[in-house]
Amino acid sequence: MSRYIARRLLFAALLVAVSSSAALVLTRLAPGDFASGLIGTSGGFEAVARERERLGLDRPIAVQYVEWLRGAVRLDLGTSLLYRRPVTELLGQRLANTAILAVAALLLATLAGLPAGVFTGSRQRGVLPGVVRLLSLVFLSLPPLVTSLVLVLLAARTGWFPLGGMQSSSSEIGGALSWLTDLGHHLVLPALALALPLAATLERLQSQAMADAVSQPFTLAALARGVPRSRVVWRHALRASLTPVVSVYGYVIGGLLSGSLIVEVVTAWPGLGRLMYEAIRARDLYLVAGCAAAGSLFLAAGSLASDLALAWTDPRVGRA
Amino acid sequence: MTGRRGGRDARPTLQRAGAALLALIAVAALAAPVLAPHEPGEVFRDHAFAPPMPPRVVDAEGRWRGPFVYPVRLVNRLEQRYEEDRSRPLPLAFFSRGRLVRLPDESQGPWLPLGGDGSGRDLLTRLLFGARTSLGVAAVAALGAILIGLVLGGVAGYAGGGVDETLMRFSEFVLVMTAVFVVLALRSALPLLRPPATVFLLMSAIFALVGWPWVARAVRGVIASERTRDYSVAALSLGATHTRLLVVHLLPACRRLLAAQAVLLVPAFVLAEATLSYLGLGFPDTTASWGSMLQDASDPNVLLRCPWTLAPAGGIALVTLAVNLFLEAEPRPPR
Amino acid sequence: MAGIDPIRLLLIGQLVGLEGKNLTASARPHLVVVALTVSLAAALAGCSRPGEQPAAAQPKARALVSSIRIEPRGFNRYVGRDSVTETIAHLTQGKLVRIDRRTQELEPWLAESWSASADGLTYTLHLRQGVTFSDGAPFTSADVLFAFRAIYDERTHSALGESVSVGGTPLQVSATGPFTVVVRFPSPFGPGMRLLDNLPILPRHKLERALDEGTLGKAWDSATPVSEIVGLGPFVVTEYQAGQRLVFARNPRYWRKDVNGEPLPALDRLTLEIVPDQNAELLRLQAGQIDFTQAEIRPEDYATLKASAQAGRIQLLDLGVGLDADAFWINLRPNKAGKRSWLQRAELRRAISHAVDRHAFANTVLLGAGVPVYGPITPGNTRWYAPDLPKFEYDVAAARSLLTGLGLTDRDRDGVLEDRTGARAGFTILTMKGNSVLERGATFVRDELRKVGLAVEVAPLEGGALIERIERGEYETVFFRFLTTDVDPALNMDFWMSSGLAHVWNPSQPSPGTDWERQVDQLMARQAMTLDQAGRKALFDQAQRVFAEQLPVLQFAAPRIYLAISSRVHNAAPALLRPAILWDPDRLTVRGTPAGAH
Repeated sequence: MSRYIARRLLFAALLVAVSSSAALVLTRLAPGDFASGLIGTSGGFEAVARERERLGLDRPIAVQYVEWLRGAVRLDLGTSLLYRRPVTELLGQRLANTAILAVAALLLATLAGLPAGVFTGSRQRGVLPGVVRLLSLVFLSLPPLVTSLVLVLLAARTGWFPLGGMQSSSSEIGGALSWLTDLGHHLVLPALALALPLAATLERLQSQAMADAVSQPFTLAALARGVPRSRVVWRHALRASLTPVVSVYGYVIGGLLSGSLIVEVVTAWPGLGRLMYEAIRARDLYLVAGCAAAGSLFLAAGSLASDLALAWTDPRVGRA
Repeated sequence: MTGRRGGRDARPTLQRAGAALLALIAVAALAAPVLAPHEPGEVFRDHAFAPPMPPRVVDAEGRWRGPFVYPVRLVNRLEQRYEEDRSRPLPLAFFSRGRLVRLPDESQGPWLPLGGDGSGRDLLTRLLFGARTSLGVAAVAALGAILIGLVLGGVAGYAGGGVDETLMRFSEFVLVMTAVFVVLALRSALPLLRPPATVFLLMSAIFALVGWPWVARAVRGVIASERTRDYSVAALSLGATHTRLLVVHLLPACRRLLAAQAVLLVPAFVLAEATLSYLGLGFPDTTASWGSMLQDASDPNVLLRCPWTLAPAGGIALVTLAVNLFLEAEPRPPR
Repeated sequence: MAGIDPIRLLLIGQLVGLEGKNLTASARPHLVVVALTVSLAAALAGCSRPGEQPAAAQPKARALVSSIRIEPRGFNRYVGRDSVTETIAHLTQGKLVRIDRRTQELEPWLAESWSASADGLTYTLHLRQGVTFSDGAPFTSADVLFAFRAIYDERTHSALGESVSVGGTPLQVSATGPFTVVVRFPSPFGPGMRLLDNLPILPRHKLERALDEGTLGKAWDSATPVSEIVGLGPFVVTEYQAGQRLVFARNPRYWRKDVNGEPLPALDRLTLEIVPDQNAELLRLQAGQIDFTQAEIRPEDYATLKASAQAGRIQLLDLGVGLDADAFWINLRPNKAGKRSWLQRAELRRAISHAVDRHAFANTVLLGAGVPVYGPITPGNTRWYAPDLPKFEYDVAAARSLLTGLGLTDRDRDGVLEDRTGARAGFTILTMKGNSVLERGATFVRDELRKVGLAVEVAPLEGGALIERIERGEYETVFFRFLTTDVDPALNMDFWMSSGLAHVWNPSQPSPGTDWERQVDQLMARQAMTLDQAGRKALFDQAQRVFAEQLPVLQFAAPRIYLAISSRVHNAAPALLRPAILWDPDRLTVRGTPAGAH
C-alpha cells in the first residue's frame, strides 16, 4: 500500500511539473505579452516598449523558462507581473477562497442531492420521485455558466444578495460573527451556481446506486426478516450505495477547484479560477504557471484521495 | 438500446422522449436553410435587440385570421425602445420561396420571430444555423474521441500489465490537464484570422484530444474483463491471433458502451464549445454558433431587458436534457 | 473546463458502475456518520441569512464608492502609466499646478503663484507655505527638486521623464529658497507650465533613499504597506485588499480649504472596488453598490440606465461631444504594400472617406449618440477644433470614381473590384475584440466598403495580440481608439510627428518619408515653440488642414459622452478626460449630509 501511495505521489509531482511548464511555454508562445496589454490604459506605445524592457519580457523563451525553473525547484514560483507580489502568496490566498466556495458548494449539493437520490432511488413509482427526477434532469442540463448568470440577474433585481466579491469593506464589519455572516451572504450566489448542477448529478448517481442496492439479495433478505422498509433503505441500502458515490467525491473536489473558473469570473469571486483567467488574459507568465500547478495538484490529490477511499471501502477493488 | 427494464416503469417513456427530442433538434439543425426565415449573416440595422414577433391568430379586435405578425418599429435608438404596430397585421406565407414560413411583405421591417441580436440579426435563424455549428463540432469531436479512446483503451485492456498502467496514467494526465490546457492551447493556436472552417476543425480536434480518456478507461475496463472470459481463452487456444481476438470479438462487446459514451460526450462538447466561444476563445461573432451567440447575453443588463438572447442557452439545455432523458433508461451493462 | 464538469461527473458515475464494484455491506459506517455530522455542523455555521447590507459604522460618515477595472499595479506614479495608478495619484498626491479640466485653465496648486521671464523660458514659482505631507513632514522646495531628479534619473525608467521635457531635453530646476523654485525650459514651449500638471510631488523623505540606490523604479509597488504611502493629496490609502478594493480616508493634513474656509476634502471615506467586468460594474451601479465609475458609459448601456434614472436612483449626465473618435488607418510603412500599390495611395483613403455614411455610422455604431467628424480633433476639444477643414463627405459616386482612377474596376461583374493584375481588391481590418463599439464600427465600415466593391474582412484580435501586430507593422488596416491624455496637441507630439512612436501609420521614421509629413512636422514643431495661443492655433489649423487632405487616419463619428452617477453624489465636476469624476475629488460629497461638521 505504501509503495502504491509513493508511486502516486511521484506521479502527482510529475504531473504538476509538466502542466505548469507547459502552461508557461504555451502562454509565452501566444501573441502579445504583458506589456502590450498596457495599451489603452493611458499608456502609449512608448510606455509599452519601455515597460517591456524594464520587465525583461523580450528575452528568449528558453532564458525565461530556465529562470522560472530555478526558482520553482526551491518552491519560489516567481513574482506576478499583474499584482506585483509573490505568486505563492497569491496562490495561497486565492486557493483558500476557492476552497471556501468549493466546500460550500459541495455541502449544499450533498445535503440536497444525496437525500433526494435516496428518495428517488428507493421508490420506482410515484409522482413525487418522478418530479424530483425531472427537476434533477433539468438542473443537470443547466451549465454553471447559465446558472451563475441567472442568479446574478436575480440578485440584481431583488437586491437580496451582494453582486459579487467576497467581503464588504472591512471598516463596516465588526467582530468575527458578523464577518462570518457577511462572508456567507456573499457566498450564496456563487455556491448555488456551482451546487445546482452538482446536486442534480449527485442525486442521479445516488439514485442509481440506491436502486442497485435495493435490488440486491441482502435487501430482500432484510425485508424478509421483518426489518421495517425505511430502516432497510436508510441504513442498510444507503451504506451499500455510498461506495460508488463516495468514490466520486475525489473527482468532484478536484473538478470543483479547477473548474469553478466561469462562476468565479461571472460573480467576481476572488478565487483560483478567476486568478487564472485574469493571468491568462494579462499574459502574466509566472502566475499562469503557478495556477496551472495549483490546479493540477489538487486534481491529482483528488484522484488519489478517491482511489484511496475506494480501496479502503471496497477491498476487492485492486489496481491494475 | 432497449433491454430488460427490471421494474423501472417510467423509463421507456423518458427514453423515447429523449430520443425524440434529440431527433427533433438534429432535424431542425439539418433543415436550417428551410426553417429559418432569413440568411444567417443578414443584418437589419434598425432592429438591434428588437423584441420577438410571435405569429398570432387573433388580432387586436379579437377576430380570428390566418397566421400573421405585427411589425415592430424603432422608436428611440439610444434608449433601444421598440413599438409594435398593431394597426397592420401582416400575413405569413407558408412553403414559399424555398422556406417553410416567411413574411412576404417586409416593407415595415423584417420578421424576427425570436427577436434580434445585438447587431440586428434574426435570432431564430442564427439559432438554427448555430445548431449546425455547435452540434457539428460536438459530433465530430465525439467521433474522434471514440476512435482514439477505442484504440488506446483496447490496447491497454488487452495487453494489461505495464502497457495498461502506462496508458491509464497517461489518460489520467490528460484528464487532469484538461481544463487548463484547452484554454491555453486555443489561445496560442488561434492568434488571428480565424476562418470558421479552421476554428471548427481545431475545436473538434482539441475536444477529441480532451475527451478520449473517458472512452479509453471505460473500454479498457470492458476489454480487461472480457479478456479473461471463457470464450476469449477458448478462441486463443483455437489459434486465433491476438489482433483477431481483439478486433473481431472483444471490441464489438463495447458497442453499447461506446454508444452511451458518444451520446454523453455530445452535450459535454456542445457546452464546452459554448463556454469557450462565450469567453471569446472559440468561434467569432460572425459565425453563428450557440456559444458566440451567448456573448450577447454575457451582459446581465442586456439579459434583463432582452431575455430572448438566452435562446442558445435554452438550446444547450435542451440537448443536455434530451441526452439525460435518453440515458435515464439505459440499463447498466452486465457485470 | 467548468462547462464539462456536471456531465463529466455523470460519466464518472457510469464508469464507476462499469468497473464492476459489487456492493457489499462493508462500507464503513463511521465515515458516513462523521462526514454527515461535520457537514451539517459546517453548513449551519456558514449558513447565510439574507438580510440588509451591513450599515455604515458611524452614522454620519460621508462615504462614496467607486470602481476601477484593473488591479492596482502599484502606487508609484513615476513608473506606472496605467489609469488606476493615475487615479490613485489624483487622490493621494499633489502637484505644482493644476489644469481645470472643464475650463482648460491653469490653476495654482502647490505653487501659489509664479512669474515668467521676458523670453518665456524661465518661470519662478512661489510655493505655498505651511503645507505638510500626510505624515506631518513639511513640504519645501527640496521636495520639488527631488521630484524632478527622480523622473529624470535613468535608473528609474520613468515615462514621465520624457513627457515632462521639451523635445527630449529635461527642464532645469533649482531652488532659490525653501519656498521658491526656478524652472528653466531649454527652448520656448507653447504649453509652458501646463506640463507640470502631469508631475505629482512624491515624498522625498520616504523615497530619497530608493532614488539614491537606484531602486526608485521598484519602490511603492502593490505590496507596500499602505501606511508608507504618504502624499500631499486630499486622501490617504488606508486599506488595500488585493483583488477586492482600495479604501481611502480623508487626509486631515490636506492644505486646501473650501470657499467657507472649511477643510477639504468633503468626504470622509472613498472606496474603489475592483470590478474587472464592465457589465458587473454597471449592475452594481444600478443596485446602488457603487456610486460612480471612472469612465463614460457605452451607448448600449444607456437604455438600461434610463430606467434607473427615471426611478431617481441615478443621474445621467450628458457631457457633450467626446474628445476621441475611433480611428481607421492603413499601414503606410514602406514596403508593406506588397504588390498592391493602390493600398497606400491617398486617393484610396479619400475614397473610403466618401464611401462611409457618417450619419448612419453615428446611428448604428453609437446608437445615434454621436456627431460626424472628419479629423482627429473633435468639436469636444473646444480650444483646438477647426470647423472649416476640407471634408470628403458621403458621396458613393465620388468614391467609385476615385477607385476607378486607381485602376480598380469590376472586370468580371461579380460586384467586387479587381486591380490591374486581376486580383480582388480588398483588405482586412484588425480591431480589438471585446470592445463592442470598436467591433460594431469596424463591421459598419466593412459593410459600407463592400457596397463600393471592396472585399473587406474584419478580424477582431485580443488586445495584446493587436498591439503586437501594430507595433511590428504586421497588418493591412486597423480600426482602433486612442485615448487622449491631454487636449493640447503639443503634448501629443508622438502622434503628429513622423518620428513619434504613436505616429501609428508609419511610426519612428528617422526622417519624414513624405512631403506632407515633413510639412506637418515643421508646423507642429513651430506650434510647440510659439508662446501665444492664437499663433499656436493658426499653425495647428494649418497642420490639421494638411492632415485632412492626406487622411493618414480617418475618423467617422465622435460619441456623445454620458456619465452615470448615483443620485447620492453631490458636487461632482465631471470632465471629458479620464478619470471623469476623480480628477477633482476635493469637493465631492454625499447629497443630503450637512456641509461642514466633522
